[in-house]
Amino acid sequence: MDVAQALAELTELSSQVRRAVVLDAEGALVGSTGEDSGAAESLARAARDLVEAAADLRGSGSAVTRVEVELEEGAVFVLREGERTIAATTGPEPTAGLVAYDLRTCLKGISESEPEKPKRRRAPRKTKADEGTGE
Amino acid sequence: MRRLVRLAVLIALAVWAWRFFLGRNEPLERATVAYEDGSAVVVEPGSPGFERLAATARTALR
Repeated sequence: MDVAQALAELTELSSQVRRAVVLDAEGALVGSTGEDSGAAESLARAARDLVEAAADLRGSGSAVTRVEVELEEGAVFVLREGERTIAATTGPEPTAGLVAYDLRTCLKGISESEPEKPKRRRAPRKTKADEGTGE
Repeated sequence: MRRLVRLAVLIALAVWAWRFFLGRNEPLERATVAYEDGSAVVVEPGSPGFERLAATARTALR
């Protein structure tokens, strides 16, 4: 499943999600729901800043995997898994567990469809016989 | 038996009223952060770091 398809499925499944974006390992926008690119870029920037602010809460050590900010006007969720990050906005008082589950399912749908990187093959070891012939 | 039913209804009404009127005083705003090692932090208004997270989230909600 590609990013656009996974996001379309997410908005279909979760009535609570208003807008969602997917970012790659470098934090670049890979896909978004809706057609408003300005809003998508704004959510992507907020997601990057939230992860940075969340990391600063702890100072050092373990990486941030989830940030949820619930406010009176709505909530923002950021989930990181592997090299992908997904961020979404919802209305006020969302069912946090359910939204997080839907976002994680969306991310898994994307990562499962990605082709595995080809493994580098080792060059065959030189044997003593080979070394002997080279001289 | 009728007294018992009346008492149960009164208790249920009292619990509902308690949750309806006093439960709303709980803070509506909060932030939760989870880390790769399995630990999590709940940040509430007034805690250090909450304002930064809330201000960033508000930019996305506009």
